[in-house]
Amino acid sequence: MIEYVQSALLIISAFLIIISAVGVLSLSKGTKNVVYARIHIFGVFDIACIIAMIAIGQYLLAGIYFILAPFTAHAIANAYWKKEDRENNLDLVTDEEVVDDNPFIQSKEKMQALESENSEKLKADERFSVTMLEIDEGE
Amino acid sequence: MDILFISKYLVVIALIILMLAALRAGAYKSTSMGLLASSVIINAFAVVLLIGGDIYNLGFYRDISLALIFFGFVGTVVFAVVLGGDDK
Repeated sequence: MIEYVQSALLIISAFLIIISAVGVLSLSKGTKNVVYARIHIFGVFDIACIIAMIAIGQYLLAGIYFILAPFTAHAIANAYWKKEDRENNLDLVTDEEVVDDNPFIQSKEKMQALESENSEKLKADERFSVTMLEIDEGE
Repeated sequence: MDILFISKYLVVIALIILMLAALRAGAYKSTSMGLLASSVIINAFAVVLLIGGDIYNLGFYRDISLALIFFGFVGTVVFAVVLGGDDK
């Protein structure tokens, strides 16, 4: 009886692994947020591996893998977001990549240049200047 | 041949297919995708070793797969931290 349960678990895990392989290959490069989608799909593979480990009796390894897999996925997604995600992270967008038609998306360098330009204008404005009168008490 | 033996081989074949798919996905232009693919290949190879050790009754395969899973995780996280840089 136990053999049948083990076999069923292994077949389920093989099925999930095949599904994740097909899912990874079916995403094209032009898909938006493709790296996050692939990280998500490989989560299915992680669970399939845990099921396979339970089926062959390696419960400790399955527990370790169950704890470590989300940390790996989060670390990779975080690194991609910080340094390579130009679709969603405006800090990484340079002047050449900004489309002029969209008024709500501007590059960080351009905004900083505009802010510094405005502050120079405000300094030169006479309305905000302060004059100091020197009073000679002796006269 | 019993069904358990066949199902173990099925899982190994599925894992080999997934490793090839991950290799194909790792050829994407970003470094993070390569990191993800290498992590998946390491984990898949660890499970293949585990099942192979179970089929042929080899005990030390379990130790090797434990080392692969643990140090693969450490290497992936360290590389991801180096890639991501410090928090501002």
